[in-house]
Amino acid sequence: MPNHRLLSVEELSISFISNNIGKEIIHRISFHLNTNEILGIVGESGSGKSVSSLAILGLLPKKVSKITNGSIWFNNMDLIHLESKKFQQIRGKDIAMIFQEPMSSLNPSMTCGKQVQEILLQHTKLSKREAQAETLNLFEKVKLPNPKRVFKAYPHEISGGQKQRVMIAMAIACKPKILIADEPTTALDVTVQKEIILLLKQLQAEENMSIIFISHDLALVSEISDRILVMYQGNIVEQGLVEQIFKNPKHQYTKALINSKPALDVRLKRLPTIKDFINNTINKNIVSAEDRNAFHHRIYSKTPLLEVINLEKTYFSKSGWFSKPDVFKAVNNVSFKLYEGETLGLVGESGCGKSTLANAILQLDKATSGSILYKGTDITLLSKKDIRTLRKDIQVIFQDPYASLNPRIPVGKAIMEPMKVHGIGNSDKDRKEMVLDLLEKVGLDETFFNRYPHEFSGGQRQRIGIARAISLEPKLIICDESVSALDISVQAQVLNLLNELKENFGFTYIFISHDLAVVKYMSDQLIVMNQGQIEEMDDADVIYRHPKRDYTKKLIHAIPKGL
Amino acid sequence: MSEITGSLSTLALQKFKQDFWGVFSFWFIVLVGFVSVFAYVLAPDNSQHANQMHLSIHSKKPGFKVQMLSIPSSIAQDQSVIDRLFFGKKNPASEIPISAYRITGNKLLYTEYASDGLEGAEKELDLNNYQNFNKATFIKEQTFIFGTDKYGRDLLSRILVGARISFFIGFVAVFISLVIGIFMGSVAGYFGGKIDAFIMWIINVTWSIPTLLLVIAITLALGKGFWQVFIAVGLTMWVEVARVVRGQIISVKEMQYVTAARALGFNDFRIITKHILPNIMAPVIVISAANFAAAILIESGLSFLGIGAQPPMASWGAMIKDHYNYIILGKPYLALIPGFCIMSLVMAFMLIGNALRDALDVKSA
Repeated sequence: MPNHRLLSVEELSISFISNNIGKEIIHRISFHLNTNEILGIVGESGSGKSVSSLAILGLLPKKVSKITNGSIWFNNMDLIHLESKKFQQIRGKDIAMIFQEPMSSLNPSMTCGKQVQEILLQHTKLSKREAQAETLNLFEKVKLPNPKRVFKAYPHEISGGQKQRVMIAMAIACKPKILIADEPTTALDVTVQKEIILLLKQLQAEENMSIIFISHDLALVSEISDRILVMYQGNIVEQGLVEQIFKNPKHQYTKALINSKPALDVRLKRLPTIKDFINNTINKNIVSAEDRNAFHHRIYSKTPLLEVINLEKTYFSKSGWFSKPDVFKAVNNVSFKLYEGETLGLVGESGCGKSTLANAILQLDKATSGSILYKGTDITLLSKKDIRTLRKDIQVIFQDPYASLNPRIPVGKAIMEPMKVHGIGNSDKDRKEMVLDLLEKVGLDETFFNRYPHEFSGGQRQRIGIARAISLEPKLIICDESVSALDISVQAQVLNLLNELKENFGFTYIFISHDLAVVKYMSDQLIVMNQGQIEEMDDADVIYRHPKRDYTKKLIHAIPKGL
Repeated sequence: MSEITGSLSTLALQKFKQDFWGVFSFWFIVLVGFVSVFAYVLAPDNSQHANQMHLSIHSKKPGFKVQMLSIPSSIAQDQSVIDRLFFGKKNPASEIPISAYRITGNKLLYTEYASDGLEGAEKELDLNNYQNFNKATFIKEQTFIFGTDKYGRDLLSRILVGARISFFIGFVAVFISLVIGIFMGSVAGYFGGKIDAFIMWIINVTWSIPTLLLVIAITLALGKGFWQVFIAVGLTMWVEVARVVRGQIISVKEMQYVTAARALGFNDFRIITKHILPNIMAPVIVISAANFAAAILIESGLSFLGIGAQPPMASWGAMIKDHYNYIILGKPYLALIPGFCIMSLVMAFMLIGNALRDALDVKSA
């Protein structure tokens, strides 16, 4: 295979300007892309991976950012000094891009076919009819089921995975030499992700193009790429062939990135974090099967804390005045028991009803039928006032640490408020002491008390959310995708924190996530949900090793495992 | 313990401070507010409603100068100082513009001022009635900086006193509209369903009544006067606030921190007042600034039509009404000056609204 350099980035530095102060985000990075290869760029949020790819396309926001140094060579042209008119010819034609959010990258008021056709008409000399034929051809190439239907469908009429396929069809329409895929599968379910990855790989081989694949997930990147580039805080810390990086990482950060993700075969007592790698204090204690069995024996002999019996939640949508309302069962006949001290994992893809179930248990949404027994009383029948008292016992940690804190209330007050409402502590002074204590427990310090949420990073905010939830001294905590929005290294810290708190305070968790690896690491019992129903329920390890249902097998198979 | 740092409001304030026109408008509004409160202290003519008429010198040009004989009122003054400072003198001296005078013995002989080259009549004043006669206090040269209106009143004083109405109508109307609007809007938005439908119905009905018609109806019910106008304008304005608040609440309600507040067991009142309202204040503040401007305009319009503030009360709208036919008579300044005042105040509010909108749009990092 002739391997020559298609694109090379040399000594690139990018600064962002705010309040007239320039801050360098990318520090003199150099890399190159060969023909016919897939280059993976891995890094956590803020590492500069997206910024550098936008620079290649000349799409950096002009007012706030500036390329201060370096050059980007493509076809003997320096893309940095290219005028915008010439750039437009390159963009879309020679270098194409697919984005993270297929939901918002398609124009909702145009049919999918038209949108792809438009690109062909703009960049090629095809007639309208030829363009249409070519579009259908492209749809077939990206393996869209029933291309003719998709051609006429509006974006809201097709699923997320299909939308991403349409986006890919759009990107490859003009047979680009380089395809930049910026987190193309992050918003998608694992099973769909797997399909898209396979598709990209296949297309790359068929079309002889090069792909820059950007992701935060090292395992995923290693499944698709030939070479990998690891970015950390605007620097490339390591680059090389997949095998070399994955099997033999040199830099501490890469090591941390590989190991912070819960391993699927062993269960470490504490997940190693980046700090552990840098200080070399990795704790390799493993929770043995015996420990686990003994623990399970102890908790399962008691009476259950929470019992969900035949729970159903139905949504009605009415399309016309005279037509029958459409019935959609978000949760369908779900029953399970939860014991004190247990962590119950709940895993499933988007739309499987796991969040609806959580909301029903939290009484944020009323269930349509069925009952939820908490310590023997049916909480679906409680009055509004009694529910408010119950809230003290059942708490929730939300998914999005950015949205779950009121931006106008300093964090100390935010944690104090629920305590005040539920009458914990005697005076404000008393409560303040308790809050400072709580902040310490979740690994923050007292200087955080008077600060506002927007001054914190995602991981810190999630800790604040945790502090607020445990401030009420609840019995049961529902973690609804609590770590999904966090970077892998931060995720490990938060998972460790949750486990520590559980040991110290004896909380019971319902741990909801789409990420089977995380759920498996955390859970005692595991429930796999699909389309509102429980597919499978058993000990987490048993399910992982011997899945009984096809759906579970598919789910486990789709987890990116790396090399 | 750490300092209280960078709340979103402080950040917004910092941003606002950098906006020249916003800050400029803010100080302009503060100035107008100051003027309207201390109008009678500042105005040359501090009689109540600046209503000192001198018919012989009506509609004079800005900068007009005349000698003025002022004869103290014979009625005893029983007005308190504060009352006089804030509401004007009730029994002012009677003022007579004169062109010439002479003192013979105990008599003051003066010639009344007459314009257009006419000769005024000579009159005499018996000074024996005034023990402490002093030429300097009785006869002064007075300059009318903005000229005089069609009744010979000092236009500058009228403008200063008239600022009060324009300014206060803004406050009262915006206050009424905020109280009703935020209450109705948050109830509708937060609870939704039938309550929402009902309130939206009221909003739509209120919206469909023309402001003018409502003012006329209220005037019929409560009598003519400027308080009625305040209330009427406030009552028509709340709908906009309510619509904005409702829309904002519907979107903020879906935010996770509101769900979190519900999960933490807070009651509805607490969630609305502490968690939702502070977060939707930005558009409410912006719309309030616009409403302020609109209220001033509506009041001027109503006064112009004669159903606003009633004479002799000074109001910019009424001043334009009194003098708009002078525009073609070559004395446009009589209508232009109050018009310009309305324009600059409204514009200041608009600019401050714009600046606030930009400043409050803090993208939380």
